Amino acid sequence: MNDADVDAERPNGKPILEAAGVVKRFGGIRAVNGATLDVREGSITALIGPNGAGKTTFFNVVTGFYRPDGGRAAFQGDQILGARPHAIARLGMVRTFQITKALARMPVIDNMTLAAPDQPGERLLNVIAHPRRVRRREAEVREQAIELLEVFDLARVADDYAGTLSGGQRKLLELARALMTRPRLLLLDEPMAGINPTLGRRLLDHMQRLRADEGVSFLFIEHDMGVVMNHSDRVIVMAEGRVIADGEPHEVRTDQAVIDAYLGSGTVVEDERA
Amino acid sequence: MEAQSLTLGAEESAWRRLKEAADRRPAVTALIILGVAVIVMVAAKGLHLVAQTGLNGLSLGAIYALGAVGLTLVYGILRLVNFAHGDFLTFGAYMAYLVNVTSGMPLAVGILFAMATTALLGVAFELVLWRPMRARRAGLLQLLLTSIGLALVIRSAIQWFWSTDVRLLDVNTTATVSFLGLRIGRMQLIVIAIGFVVIIAIGLMLSQTLLGKRMRALADDLDLAETAGVNTRRVIVYTWVFAGSLAGLAGVLDASVTALSPNFGFDLLLPIFAAVILGGIGDAYGALAGGMLLGLVTEWSTLFVDAKWKIGVGFVALIVALIVRPQGIFGRARTI
Amino acid sequence: MPAHDPSVILPLGLTLNFFTDTGFWSGVGVLAGIYALVALGLQLNVGYTGMTNFGAAGFMAVGAYAMAILVLKAGFSFWLSLPVAMLIAIGFGLLVGLPSLRLRADYFAIATIALAETVRIIAQNADSLTGGNQGLFCAEGGAGACYNDAWTNLSTTIEGWLQSLGWTNPESLAPLLIVVWLFVVGATLGLRFIQKSPWGRVLRAIREDEDAAEALGKHTFVYKLQSLAIAAAIGAFAGFFLALDLATVHPLDYEPLVTFFAYGVLVLGGLASYWGVLAGAVLFWTILEGTRFIGFGLDDTQIAALRFFIVGLALIVLMVFRPQGMFGKREEMVLGE
Repeated sequence: MNDADVDAERPNGKPILEAAGVVKRFGGIRAVNGATLDVREGSITALIGPNGAGKTTFFNVVTGFYRPDGGRAAFQGDQILGARPHAIARLGMVRTFQITKALARMPVIDNMTLAAPDQPGERLLNVIAHPRRVRRREAEVREQAIELLEVFDLARVADDYAGTLSGGQRKLLELARALMTRPRLLLLDEPMAGINPTLGRRLLDHMQRLRADEGVSFLFIEHDMGVVMNHSDRVIVMAEGRVIADGEPHEVRTDQAVIDAYLGSGTVVEDERA
Repeated sequence: MEAQSLTLGAEESAWRRLKEAADRRPAVTALIILGVAVIVMVAAKGLHLVAQTGLNGLSLGAIYALGAVGLTLVYGILRLVNFAHGDFLTFGAYMAYLVNVTSGMPLAVGILFAMATTALLGVAFELVLWRPMRARRAGLLQLLLTSIGLALVIRSAIQWFWSTDVRLLDVNTTATVSFLGLRIGRMQLIVIAIGFVVIIAIGLMLSQTLLGKRMRALADDLDLAETAGVNTRRVIVYTWVFAGSLAGLAGVLDASVTALSPNFGFDLLLPIFAAVILGGIGDAYGALAGGMLLGLVTEWSTLFVDAKWKIGVGFVALIVALIVRPQGIFGRARTI
Repeated sequence: MPAHDPSVILPLGLTLNFFTDTGFWSGVGVLAGIYALVALGLQLNVGYTGMTNFGAAGFMAVGAYAMAILVLKAGFSFWLSLPVAMLIAIGFGLLVGLPSLRLRADYFAIATIALAETVRIIAQNADSLTGGNQGLFCAEGGAGACYNDAWTNLSTTIEGWLQSLGWTNPESLAPLLIVVWLFVVGATLGLRFIQKSPWGRVLRAIREDEDAAEALGKHTFVYKLQSLAIAAAIGAFAGFFLALDLATVHPLDYEPLVTFFAYGVLVLGGLASYWGVLAGAVLFWTILEGTRFIGFGLDDTQIAALRFFIVGLALIVLMVFRPQGMFGKREEMVLGE
């Protein structure tokens, strides 16, 4: 094991994403009201909080889908707040959506090959002037796509329209597709929702493997406390648009501010092992 | 690929604060800008000319407003801008022609007939076409092309029976009225009078009656209104009655100060769209205000450019509105 | 009456002349070809990129007027004016796209119509440049050179070739018909080629869900601009051919009606099928031009009205009962929205 592997396993590396004082207003309401958080490189970090805490809004702002109203954010040292979504994705920070965005009228395999980076064939000039280069990369990309689909047990539906997939399969496709982009940080919005436990386990195992083998970092929004407590290195809690707690799972679970926030909203935080 | 880190530096906040204030009180901002524009025009061209063209603007604005308010309410139901609305105006005008010229009855009867028949037309299409398509969850392109098809069908029927000859209603277009040193065609004055009375009546109806409130709620958010227990089917039908009759009225009024031809309504469609968008889509009061504003701006433009470019003003207003502020003057910033 | 009598009346008062009139068929063919070009561009925009572009008539107008103005007012040769006018049309397409591409579907439709209409208004009123309501045909009120002189020469040459091939009395429109359809087929092959590439895949992704495409690192704005630019280029050629067909460039030939008719062709052939566009165009214009033969003594305005009616009805019927048109795939309509 070389140094890089060791660092990837130890979730105390330097921050890959830093957000400071992020603000997003909708009319008079501040959905995100000064959120400040770090995601450490090589970590699996959970972002939790009662409904309406601003978690998805925060995702949308920090990935460029909403225009920010204030604050700063940096990914691997580059300022990203206010940048366009595609630019941020290309830097290596990729997000999935709460309601999956499977490209319904395209085959599953196309969903995947679309996501691959560095495709000369995506520039019209190359399509016309360098067809061989385009074909070569396309073959590579296809192979990678099928390999990845096999991991998620979707290879057999590769040629079906994505619109014919079940809800759980779409969630997996969403994740697989995001992985095709070779991200450094994956922002997953409720990746477990609607997936049966076995599939869920497989997903979590894959996340762990990616973190261990390639040092991919994860920030995921999740409501299933069992998953959060047992599978994340770090938990960040948001309520009413700001971060109210940030630490290891067992610390956060007993944090009074967190309990108040959840009690105020009717959810109860429990360790499924208790 | 430069990202802009937003700092809340002191230099920016003054300009930003002004912009935010303008955003929060759009109607006031619009009035201020209008006021400044009027002052500039009076200084450049003199009060008389500005007032004279302003009167023409009120007449045109009333027509735009009546056409726009129906279109914007229907938008809430269809979830799209109805391309056939312009042809409702044409239809109304020709119905009035039938009564007024072909049958020799007074214009007032023609107006009532036009409003009634256009309302019926709107309801008929709702029952036969729009309701089933909504039930089938038809997509945006499908609805858009359907409304275009409808526009063509209406126009073709009118052209079939009345050919492309330009026709006139049986009204006195030469008589003028003078007051305060201004001259205005008698018919135009009547248009302004009718327009204003109806607009005020609409405003009252929308704000004071239960039906009016329901129509506005529907236009704002159909699904929400449904979950709130509103009998949407009935309100939708009433909305079409409303939109249809106002479109018919607008058509007759325009025809009475200009002329009838099979495509005059479609020609008015883009300026009416502009009024709707200026006022904020789905907002009835906004449509009324947007229509009046557009009418004024269109006529005032003749003070500075040749009158032949007048029609272009509506288009330019539309384009500028879509680019600068698609939610309109009064609309909230939706994700468009 | 015997069946081979050419004056036999068929339903709707059509006569058998309908089938043998080569003048009619070459007229249909040219119009079908022109509209096929416009609809090919629309297919790229609507069927493959998901952009409801209603400015097609504007692209045609810019192409045709640019060509005629360059030849008649700036002294360009006809052949040089074509690529230059095409570039101008592409520029116009970019100009249209830059402010309006971020608007949602129906607003984009309105914005593009408004921009196309602005072009028409300018054409109608900028008399010195565009000939205003007279249009453009030949310089000096008909006495000087015409913009299509070079084409007329080429046309005569082609007629000569046709005669040498055995066609004793070729239709005057035959050369134009041939050239237009060569273009149409070429454009179709070209579009199919780029559509199958990864570039085309990004367009389809944009059609499906633009946010998803952005989230995967695709700069969707640039792709949409490219789609619009290509449609503008093809539209410009449609404009050129129309200008050659009519021998005049007149604002009324570029009304929104043209765009609506092109959409009729598009949905008749079916979304997401390039070859379908060609079939749709031929069927569309056969029916429309066929109205000329209806033997009930209809005058011109009534025939025009009948055409609008047919197109309007066809749009409604197709959208209600068969939104995928002749060659579109049902899943494309069902899985969408």
